[in-house]
Amino acid sequence: MKQRRLKIFAASAILLVAMVFLVLAMTEKTSVLHFTPAELVANATENDKQNLQVDGVIAEGSSTWDAANFKLTFAVRDRESSDTVNVIYENRLKPDNFTDGGSVFVEGKYDAAKNRIVATKLTTKCASKYEGAESTSSKKGSS
Amino acid sequence: MFIEDLLVGVQGVTAELGQAAIFLSLLSALWAIFSLCIGLINRRLNFVRSGRNAVIATLILISIATCALIFGFVTDDFSMMYVVEVSSAAQPLLYKITALWGHMSGSLLFWLWLLTVAGGVVVLQNRRSQDSLADYALIPIAIVQLFFIVLVTGWIEGVYNPLARFPDGQIAVDGKGLNPLLQTPSMAFHPPTLYIGWISLTVPFAFAVAALLSGRIGSDWILRSRRWMLFSWIILTIGITLGGHWAYQELGWGGYWAWDPVENASFMPWLLGTAYLHSVMIQEKRSMLKLWNILLITLAFQFTLIGTFITRSGIITSVHAFAQSDMGGYFLGFILLSTLGVIALIVYRWERLRSENRLESLLSRESSFILNNWLLVGLTLIILWGTLWPIISEAIQGEKASVPESFFNQVVIIPGLILLFLTGAGPVISWKKITPNNFKRMFIPPIIVGLIATGIAWIYLAVRGILEIPNQLESSFFARLPEGLTFSGETFPIFSLLCVFASVFVLFAIGSEFYRGAKLRTKRQQTTFLNGLGLLINRNKRRYGGYIVHIGIVIVYIGIMGSKGYFLLESASLKLGESMGVGSYQLTMQDTFQEEHQNYFRAGVEFGVMKDGNQKTTMRPARHFYHKAGQGDQDTIESAIYGIGMNELYIALGPLPAKIDNDTDVNVQVYYNPLIRVVWIGVAIMVLGGLIAIAERSESTKSS
Repeated sequence: MKQRRLKIFAASAILLVAMVFLVLAMTEKTSVLHFTPAELVANATENDKQNLQVDGVIAEGSSTWDAANFKLTFAVRDRESSDTVNVIYENRLKPDNFTDGGSVFVEGKYDAAKNRIVATKLTTKCASKYEGAESTSSKKGSS
Repeated sequence: MFIEDLLVGVQGVTAELGQAAIFLSLLSALWAIFSLCIGLINRRLNFVRSGRNAVIATLILISIATCALIFGFVTDDFSMMYVVEVSSAAQPLLYKITALWGHMSGSLLFWLWLLTVAGGVVVLQNRRSQDSLADYALIPIAIVQLFFIVLVTGWIEGVYNPLARFPDGQIAVDGKGLNPLLQTPSMAFHPPTLYIGWISLTVPFAFAVAALLSGRIGSDWILRSRRWMLFSWIILTIGITLGGHWAYQELGWGGYWAWDPVENASFMPWLLGTAYLHSVMIQEKRSMLKLWNILLITLAFQFTLIGTFITRSGIITSVHAFAQSDMGGYFLGFILLSTLGVIALIVYRWERLRSENRLESLLSRESSFILNNWLLVGLTLIILWGTLWPIISEAIQGEKASVPESFFNQVVIIPGLILLFLTGAGPVISWKKITPNNFKRMFIPPIIVGLIATGIAWIYLAVRGILEIPNQLESSFFARLPEGLTFSGETFPIFSLLCVFASVFVLFAIGSEFYRGAKLRTKRQQTTFLNGLGLLINRNKRRYGGYIVHIGIVIVYIGIMGSKGYFLLESASLKLGESMGVGSYQLTMQDTFQEEHQNYFRAGVEFGVMKDGNQKTTMRPARHFYHKAGQGDQDTIESAIYGIGMNELYIALGPLPAKIDNDTDVNVQVYYNPLIRVVWIGVAIMVLGGLIAIAERSESTKSS
């Protein structure tokens, strides 16, 4: 009886340890740091050639889309300051909802010398259209 | 004229009527809780009846509020804030109605309405029953209702009452319109499907609480809520798939699953529900795992709330720039309080939650089910970990970080493959303890067939020259070993081959179960084999429906292996008349087109698709321009899809000018997605199996 319970316990423990180990190792390996443009500009050299994410808004008038070379370039601006980071995104479709002032989430490799990210992933959300509008109108409602 | 005046007159009161109904429902839900408690504690049947009636009253009141909002949509009542937010005069009727769940306030009301429907159905199902278990279950249901009623009253900062008008009495000229991305049929039905799935999960949870409250911890509560659970599971399966299908068709990235927090939020309750569907069988057959089942269904229910919390509170997707609402804290509070409540009840009923039997062997059906549960719960926790990593990393490292799609792909694959193997091993392994005879008869043949199939797959991959995996993207699902585990620096599709082995093993093992059973019936009843198969399934719908679900799962795995592991992607910038290739297909941009539609403008290009010099078909990818009033200035990708057997060719276009001429550069992204149709077929088989299983009436209703 006792031996059987020990076996069951050991089997569960091995499974658990293996799973935890796998998850932690993968987290360590794949996790990428997250910055605002201001944070990244302030710590540029430490993050040179690193894979990272930047979250900000598309700087007004900064985007150019070169259809012939399938290339999108723009600057992502900090929500609270005027710091910007340049972004280049090639051979992928320009995402829907890509408008000046809209929220953008950039993932890619950072080059400190050029203050530029070569993006592998772009996610956009049209801030004015989504819940932002809802929360402003709710302020009206609760007053 | 008269009708118009009447309409304006009615519009003038509907919103207020709906608001009044919401406030009244606050009272009816409170009364339901109070009077059911009194009635059940003191055994006063008239109080119990009054409680049931109050649950029905809540249903009627919330239905009135929901109808009032829909009326506002249909009649374009732009004095209502929510209508302005998500609807517009030009919006087609279907999307005016689906705008109900287009935003937070409305979707909460819709959620609440479904919850009151669930409450009403529980009352009606049990109105003639002498048994009080369902009455106990109404108490937690009413408490959850109360929580959502408070949410839609507009008392919580940041969540306004969906029926509220603009406070200064202003009337907007037109609404802002529903996000164009949501104006497709699968997006119209995806959210409500998920909601229905989540809400029907509340009922088994409520029965678990009822079991604790009443002290009847046996299998009654499981049997009484079995069909609810299956229903929830089927609907969630459909809902999750619709979401993937929507992403595939609309978003233009050629995939259907990206481990996005919103997707994860829908997937986690499904995993826990699947675990629960298995573990309750052990409680029924062997009176074990009583405590575990209650914990599992509680967790599954809590995850439906956690999902909403994650996706709505803005703590995760930092892409949302919206102002913080108090809703997140309110949700978290409710999750914590209700969990504490269940824990308190468990402590109170501790003695009755003891297992009556013990696990006898590590190699038995019981332990295969327990392993299944471990893995499913483990997967849920892994996905939760990855989803919450931005918060966790900030808490422990002080730096905000997140994990990409490849994290999820790589950590789920091993547990996922073990689970796949179990879908075949579980049904054929014997209860209590495996015997040499059982192993020889049930395991050896499928293992041999599986190994042969694996060998064939290996040769096929080698001949096709795709042992080293083609796709260049970060998704290494099934195709590659995790980095650092490669053989002599080369990639090797070990996971693909393991997936083939496990799939064939399961198909053969379950197929033999069907074959043996059907043969026996055929002999006994002197009938045809097909008839025998029908009889077999009909006599034990639960068991064989379950097996059919397992077959569906295997087929989904095969589809995922092909489409996630072996897709091809090519991008190019083309002018009219130019061509590009993907795999063995040649695509030529041969024409352009423009069409005017009710609320958008469609522009695109036509591709001729050639293979080996033969024209196969034409494909017409496009973009939709929503430039009408209230639609904002948006255009959306409308991909074109062409099926080749089980594989698909998929074209999406980059930004286009409204007028395309000979010099326009068009950005084209083409995917070749092998076996992608197999995924949808597999899901259809899963749903079919679920429907067969749910057709079986539960034993308790049979015997009564």
